[in-house]
Amino acid sequence: MNEHSRVLERDELEIAETLRSPDVDLRLPPVLPREPYPIEPLTPDARQQTRAVGQRATRSDARLHGLGQTKYIDDLSFPGMLYARIKRAGIASARIKRIDTSAAEAMPGVMAVLTGKEIPTNSFGPTFQDQPVLADPIVRHAGDGVAAVAAVTEQIANEALAKIVVEYEPLPAVLDPVAAMREDSPKVHAPNSNIYATKVVRKGDIEKGFAESDRIFEARFSTQMIEHVSLEPHAAIADWDANGRLTIWATIGRITLARADMARTLKLPMSRIRIIGTIVGGNFGGKNEISQEPALALLSKKTGRPVKGVFTRGEEFTATTTRHPIIMDYKTGVSNKGRILARQIRLVLDGGAYCSWSATTLGKACILSPGPYKIDNVVAEAFVVYTNKTMTGAMRGFGAPQVCFAYESQMDDIAKALGIDPLEIRLLNAFDEGSSSPTGQVLHSVVIKESLRKAADRFGWEPRS
Amino acid sequence: MKRRGRGIACMWYPIGFTVDANASAATVKVNEDGTATVLTGTVETGQGSLTVLGQIAAEALGIATDDVHVVSADTDTTPMDTGAIASRTTYVTGNAIWLAAEAAKAILFETAAPMLGVKVSQLEARDRKIQVKSFPQRNVSIGEVAHRSQVVLGQPAIGSASWNPPTVAMDPETGQGKPFATYVYATQIAEVDVDDETGEVEILRIAAAHDCGTAINPMLVEGQVEGGISMGVGMALQEEMLFDANGRHINPNLTNYIMPTSLDMPEIAVDIVQGYDPTGPFGAKGVGEPTAVPTAAAILNAIHDAVGVRVTSLPATAEKVLTAIKAKRAAEVKQIPA
Repeated sequence: MNEHSRVLERDELEIAETLRSPDVDLRLPPVLPREPYPIEPLTPDARQQTRAVGQRATRSDARLHGLGQTKYIDDLSFPGMLYARIKRAGIASARIKRIDTSAAEAMPGVMAVLTGKEIPTNSFGPTFQDQPVLADPIVRHAGDGVAAVAAVTEQIANEALAKIVVEYEPLPAVLDPVAAMREDSPKVHAPNSNIYATKVVRKGDIEKGFAESDRIFEARFSTQMIEHVSLEPHAAIADWDANGRLTIWATIGRITLARADMARTLKLPMSRIRIIGTIVGGNFGGKNEISQEPALALLSKKTGRPVKGVFTRGEEFTATTTRHPIIMDYKTGVSNKGRILARQIRLVLDGGAYCSWSATTLGKACILSPGPYKIDNVVAEAFVVYTNKTMTGAMRGFGAPQVCFAYESQMDDIAKALGIDPLEIRLLNAFDEGSSSPTGQVLHSVVIKESLRKAADRFGWEPRS
Repeated sequence: MKRRGRGIACMWYPIGFTVDANASAATVKVNEDGTATVLTGTVETGQGSLTVLGQIAAEALGIATDDVHVVSADTDTTPMDTGAIASRTTYVTGNAIWLAAEAAKAILFETAAPMLGVKVSQLEARDRKIQVKSFPQRNVSIGEVAHRSQVVLGQPAIGSASWNPPTVAMDPETGQGKPFATYVYATQIAEVDVDDETGEVEILRIAAAHDCGTAINPMLVEGQVEGGISMGVGMALQEEMLFDANGRHINPNLTNYIMPTSLDMPEIAVDIVQGYDPTGPFGAKGVGEPTAVPTAAAILNAIHDAVGVRVTSLPATAEKVLTAIKAKRAAEVKQIPA
């Protein structure tokens, strides 16, 4: 009589029964009664109105969102699909001496491992192509990927990451943007300077403006690094089919650029790449470029199976773009009546390890930094510098929330010092229709004074004596 | 004790890319029953852009929002688009869709003119009909026209177009130029309570008045403003990625990286400022990003008004506010003559 066919003793039987019950539950999950809902959507009137513009029409996707039926990447699954995970460096600045993936590759369930050397063009970026898909050989921030694994389950992929051995030669790191501007600072992208983009806006005669001012106010403001924290993390599925055509389902807000980036990194003609943007669970600027997609594509090519990758919340913080910390120096000359006569601004943006959308953020921050005010004499200089930190990039406002914090804080300090109501000093200086911006642009459809008055009415703003 | 303060902040914000081309292309197909399908390469990232784009197409064709289906985000089937970035979707993609819808409508008008016995220039599309201007009783349904156009005359009403905002490059020395086609403006006013013993800040209410040109869908504008304010609240008081001396991120999780929840949200009153931009689709500009711009500034000004301290580095955590209050008290004590 073999082990499996013998009759169980009474006391053994009881144990077996206990063990069986949860197992039974697992095999036969309870099926919830289907919630009935009307087949015909209850369409609110606004969607049926002609003169569609101006209607408070409900969103065309609202019903699916409300019923939990919207398909995000993590809801999609294909036959034979593998799960990818990326090993993160965990060191801010280093040279990779050796990567040993043999133990991971030997694991049952691991179908492929990928390192930076295998990527046809291992760089991408919307302005400068300075970011590798997987670091090779230089690691520039702790969130850099160094290897990717595709396995039959996410758990196996995670376990495989632990078996990849990476030997690093630590390099000096620079974390402070002001220190990074110095000549003798360690270079994040040696031999290039850490200052990788600058912008300047000059208007009028700044010295004359200050000379004519009754009072001069100087202050330094600084802001922090912020993550977008979209509900849905960065996620993608890559399927490299037998015809050599690549399909990517991705949480990317810009599929046209994504296809160009994929064509470049994979050295593929664009006609062989199809990018499908799924409904994205929050972007806020964080999903405006590719991230893991080339690695997933190559893992799919290696295995002949679709490969899914979903970032963890931790990766969302350390391995995706963030909002720029900015150090902002403001010097403002005003008349005793509260008119701004001259404003000099210097911005230092912490650009993180890679450019991403930093050049754009730099430009917008610099152009917007004087504020929505009629100022005849302006000098605004902005610098963005590499540091060995998570890369900074596009985030709702492109540097504008930071500079708004600075120019509006100083505006209140000026108002207080001169004894003018904060609303009044803004109305005194704000743009009018046809005002000239700091870049000399004649502005049209300007309604800032209307917005000031409307908000003040709604709030119940009364001047204090 | 809790001290109350109010703070105001206004801002300007551009729509679209800085100088660089950021075109959108679109195709509008009018079906044989007078409904329409829009093809766009932009991506719905939760903001409701596809609904707004559908409303723009519907307005141009004289049909309802529900009559339009928007197909988006597939590089094999939809035309190029610079994407959901820079608050540009309503303005740039919206203009492309508007132009494409006008092109499709022109084909319908060619068909309808002989049906109604008038010139093309005398027609308008309103209320799912193509009608003679000033004589709305002389009309034919858009479905009938679309069917005739496609099935009888063999001229399907399909229009394609692209649009790119006009800019002028900035001078590299002085930055003078026209970097953006248009800007939006906004003001937010915050009321806060600051506990001067703990430094804790509670935001009570925010009044927000935002310009977006024509509000294609006021409800979605309000949604954007409320969402933007929540990001501004996090920036003002809570959120900060922290690194150790070796450059490793020490709070990469939502336990130690504190974000505002619904409990942290103030009462918000949104006003849409009347505006019209002749360069935008039906006068619309955009609204996505600017909603998050003035919030932190308004809150920090309210803290200053409440307790008289100027916090110059964000976020204004309770620790930072309390330290500033203590420093202010210490400075005041010293000023008392001996």
